[in-house]
Amino acid sequence: MDTLLSGQLLFAALVSGSLYALVALGLNLVYGTLRLLNIAHGDLVMIGAYTAFWMFSLFAVPPLVSLVLAAALCALLGWAVYAGLFRRMLAKPDLAKRVEANSLILFYGISVILQNLTALAFSSTSRGYQYLDTVITWQGISMTGNRLLSLGVAATICFGTLLFLRFHLFGWGLRAVIERREAAQVVGVNLNRVQLLTICGGFAVAGMAGVLVSMTEQITPFMGFPFTIVAFVVIIIGGLGNIGAGILAGFCLGLVETFGIALTSPGYRSILIYGLFVGVLMVRPEGIFTKAVRS
Amino acid sequence: MIAPMLSVRNLRAAYGPVQVLFDVDFDVAPGSVTTLIGANGAGKTTIMKSVAGLMMPIGGAILFEGRDITRAPSHDRVNSGLSLIPEGRLVFPGMTVEQNLRLGAIAPAARSGHSEMLADVFRRFPRLEERRSQHAGLMSGGEQQMLALGRGLMARPRLILMDEPTLGLAPVMVKQVFETIRELRASGFTILLAEQNARVALELADQAYLLENGRVALSGPGAELLDSHDVRRAYLGM
Repeated sequence: MDTLLSGQLLFAALVSGSLYALVALGLNLVYGTLRLLNIAHGDLVMIGAYTAFWMFSLFAVPPLVSLVLAAALCALLGWAVYAGLFRRMLAKPDLAKRVEANSLILFYGISVILQNLTALAFSSTSRGYQYLDTVITWQGISMTGNRLLSLGVAATICFGTLLFLRFHLFGWGLRAVIERREAAQVVGVNLNRVQLLTICGGFAVAGMAGVLVSMTEQITPFMGFPFTIVAFVVIIIGGLGNIGAGILAGFCLGLVETFGIALTSPGYRSILIYGLFVGVLMVRPEGIFTKAVRS
Repeated sequence: MIAPMLSVRNLRAAYGPVQVLFDVDFDVAPGSVTTLIGANGAGKTTIMKSVAGLMMPIGGAILFEGRDITRAPSHDRVNSGLSLIPEGRLVFPGMTVEQNLRLGAIAPAARSGHSEMLADVFRRFPRLEERRSQHAGLMSGGEQQMLALGRGLMARPRLILMDEPTLGLAPVMVKQVFETIRELRASGFTILLAEQNARVALELADQAYLLENGRVALSGPGAELLDSHDVRRAYLGM
C-alpha cells in the first residue's frame, strides 16, 4: 500500500500519461478536422526518435533542439501527404465520402513504406543514446532528468494546444471544422488552410513525441506501431475528435497502466489497457469525457 | 436601372451525373427582397449552395457586386459581404450561443467590429442574449433559427442568403421570421430568400422567381406572381 501512495508511482504515471496524451493529440487533430485515420501516426514518432538520435550522436545536438527539427520534418511530411494525396480526394464529393475508409488503407501503405525505408537506410539495429540520465531525488521521489524533461515538454505542448484552441481565432476555426465542417464553411472559415495547417501540426506533434521517447527508449524502425495503437485507444476512450478529452484520457491511461501494474504485475499491462478500452466501448462508446449535448 | 447586387447567369449544377439546374438566370437588386419559390427538389437549395460557394456549378456565372465569384472559395465570399443562413440552420451544437455568434465574425472583414455587431444582434434577438451561455444544441428549432440568423449577421453581410428559414418551425415562429426579414430589409440589407411557404414569401418579395425542375418557370414582382393563375393553382391551393 505504501508504494501506491508514494510519489514515485505518480511520477511514472504522469510521465507515460503525458506521452500518451501527446501522441494521441496529433492523431485526434488530424482525425477531427480531416476525418483521416492515420495508421502511420506511430511511424512519425519513429521518425522523430531517429532525428533526435542522429542529431545527438553525429553532431551532439541536444534533444531540445531536435524537437524543432523533428517538428519541421514531420510537418513537411504532413504537407506532402495533404497536397499530394488528400486535397484531391477531399475535393471530389464521391471520393470524399469514402475518405475515412480509404485513408486507412493509404496510411497503412505509407506506414509500410516509412518503416522499410528507415530499415533500409539505418538497418533494424536498435539504437539509443544517453542524455540527462542522472538521478535526481526530490521529496523521496527519484527521477531521471530526461523523464522530468519529457514530462515538462509533453505537458507544455498539450496544454499550450488547448489554450491555443480556446483563445486564438485560428483555434476557433479549427474547433468549428471539427464540430461541423459545412457550418464552418458557412461562417467563412478557410477550410483548406485549417486542414493543411492541422495535418502539419498533428504530424509535427507526433515527431516531437518521438524526440521525447528517444531519450528513454530503444529506437528501431518498427517502434511506431505500439504508439499508433495506444493513440487510437486514447482518442476512442476520450471521444474521437474531442481534443481536451483526448488529453485527459492520455493521462488516465498512464495512471491506470502504472498503478494497475504496481497492483498486479507487468504481465497484466495489455489486459489493463485493452480492458479499459473494451470497457469504455461497452459502457460509453461515444467516449467517457464527451458532452451529452452533441446532436 | 440600378446595377444588380447579385447576377446569376446560365447557372448549371449537378450532383454527380444528375443535373439539377438548367441555365438558371436571375438578379437581386440592392436593398430588395428577392424570393425563389418552388416545390421540394426544384433546385432552391442548390442555387443557394452555389451562390455561397458550398458547391461548384458545372457551368454559368455568378457575379457579386460586379465581381465574378463563380469559382471563389466560400470563405472568400463571406469576407466580401455575402452570408448564408443555411437550410437546417447548421449551428454548432456543442458550443454556446455566444461562441456561435463570435464564430460568425471569423471572416477578417468582420473581426474589427464584432462587439458592436454582437450588441446589434442581441438587440434584434433579446432571446439570444438571455441564452448566451447555453449550448446551441439544447435550444428549440425557432431559437436555433434565430441563432443561425444572428450568426449570419455577425459576418456584416450586404447580401443575406436565407435558405428555407421557416422549415420545421411552429406557425408563431414562422410569423416572427418573416417579421425579422422585413426589419432587415428596413435596415438596408439585401435579401435572397428561398422559401416553400409561397404566399408569405410572395407578399414580402420585391421580385420573385418560380422554379420548376431546375429552371426558372416564371418571374416578376412578388405581387404579380401572387396574382398569377398558375402560381395560385399550383402553390397556393386556390
